[in-house]
Amino acid sequence: MADTLTVVPHPRRRSAARVWRDRLPGIVMGGPAVLVFLAMFIVPMFLAFVLSLTDWNGYSLNFTFIGLDNYAEAFRNPRTVDAAIFTAVVAFFGTVLCNGVGLTIAALISGSGRANTLMRTIFFYPYIISALIIGFLWSAMLAPEGAVNGLLGHLGVPPVPFLTEVAFAKASVILTIVWSHFGFNMILFLAGIKSVPTEYYEAATVDGASRWQQFRNVTLPLIAPVFTVNLVLTLVGLLKVYDIVLALTDGGPAGSTQTIVYQILRDSFAQSELGFGAAQSVILLLVTAVLGLAVTFARRGAEQKVAD
Amino acid sequence: MRRYPTPRRRLRAPGVGTVLKWVLLGAAALVMLVPLYIMVINAFKPQEAIISSPLAIGPDTFSLEYLQAALTSEKFNVVRAYGVTLLFVALVNVFGIALAAPVAYVIARGRSRWHLGLLLLFVSGLFIPGQVTLIPVVFVLRVLGLINTIPGFILFETAATLPVTIFLFAAYLRTVPRDIDEAAALDGAGKIRAFWACIFPIMRPVVATIVVLNSISVWNDFVSPQIILGPGSGIYTVTTGVYAAVGEFSTDYTTVFPTLLLAVTPAILFFVLMQRHIIGGLVAGATKG
Repeated sequence: MADTLTVVPHPRRRSAARVWRDRLPGIVMGGPAVLVFLAMFIVPMFLAFVLSLTDWNGYSLNFTFIGLDNYAEAFRNPRTVDAAIFTAVVAFFGTVLCNGVGLTIAALISGSGRANTLMRTIFFYPYIISALIIGFLWSAMLAPEGAVNGLLGHLGVPPVPFLTEVAFAKASVILTIVWSHFGFNMILFLAGIKSVPTEYYEAATVDGASRWQQFRNVTLPLIAPVFTVNLVLTLVGLLKVYDIVLALTDGGPAGSTQTIVYQILRDSFAQSELGFGAAQSVILLLVTAVLGLAVTFARRGAEQKVAD
Repeated sequence: MRRYPTPRRRLRAPGVGTVLKWVLLGAAALVMLVPLYIMVINAFKPQEAIISSPLAIGPDTFSLEYLQAALTSEKFNVVRAYGVTLLFVALVNVFGIALAAPVAYVIARGRSRWHLGLLLLFVSGLFIPGQVTLIPVVFVLRVLGLINTIPGFILFETAATLPVTIFLFAAYLRTVPRDIDEAAALDGAGKIRAFWACIFPIMRPVVATIVVLNSISVWNDFVSPQIILGPGSGIYTVTTGVYAAVGEFSTDYTTVFPTLLLAVTPAILFFVLMQRHIIGGLVAGATKG
């Protein structure tokens, strides 16, 4: 940019040395970030694919190529298939519930005033606590002798096997995720709702629209882009859910709450089958990318309506 | 008999809808707060009292010994973990910003296809889940000899912050007028010095956003320190330390609750102090990304 101030007599005939001298600051400024990014993102992404074709055990740097065996194994292995199905269930119900609860509460507390701000804080705070700690906290509370069963006992309700019976454990995982995550969705919805110009509501009121009609016909269409962001972020985030499961159920009972990342990390590091883990990672990456893009494109329609 | 409110009364007294709304919100708020309450009070009670009356606390059962035991536990040195995690948070912030700010400036000021390509390259990182690259990252770090070391961990965490940081920085720098670059150039400062001396100080708001976002993600990260540092390294962050301390004793509540309380307190304090920045930062990070 210094060029704009110095007088350059023959701009088209700058020598190669001159060109590089002008580029040098840019390279010095951009180079380190590019190098770090290549080493920790781009190279590993390609390596993930290469390693997925091998039987690497994670320790030695000797391994053999075994073709697509790891991929075939991923579709055959019942543990991986079960984990994939449970992950899909968590991602689906988690996304629906986080956004449903988040939007409902955002709509209820979108006004100004202290009470609304306080509510916002209360609903949001779990989001900044590590998922691992959330998992341990709920694990302690939902245990057979935990606080929740203690309370139910006082009410005369027999103990509920929240974490020890398959169906309950699955529901507990999903509800714990929703408890800790919907506040984030709520915050984004709130930002969207607050950015709707008040004139729109005034016009709707003049037309005699009820509160519900206003929400339905003014707010919802106008926050369509926020809705898309919320859906994509929640879905993509839940496809890789791990920490909370590890702490809450450790994949149990009987492996019924293992997610795909739980499976990947266990195969890779506990079982030393990093090649197999890498193959599952590549599948997860593809599924994440396809679903993320699919939701984004599917939502285009809803967003387009606003633009018209 | 039900009395219907006169129109004048309706102005003052809240409607049925409003009452119902606040009853509902109040109940939901209880569901959010009771777990926090249970964690706090049960950190000061013996096992039998935790199980028999999880919601109550009285002078007869109150004791500081469990919290003290957790503080001085040999399995998990909480104070040390605070220090280690804070150090990691600081290093990742410093390196991440030092790497991202200049490249974001080059991208924001560049007009060629190369600059757009560079932006797209970094932004593609937003869509690559960390868990996917973790296995090959272990491979790369092993080749570099950095596996199970702090530099290796910092390198990975710093790289992980780059996509969001560069994206937000570049978006912000586009709004900074070029006049400032030119004024700096007039003063005879080189391009790099001009950036750090004149442009970077203007970026303070977006730097604050990024510091908040990165700090939360590094503080809460569990998988990367667990895998890259590994239990063998003897270096524990708050999360890997909690996992080591609580993971095997999850039915000994006199260990669980005090340990969780200690692990959560800094995050809650940070949240209370920085709430506006955290929420603003998350909204900016999510909606601009």
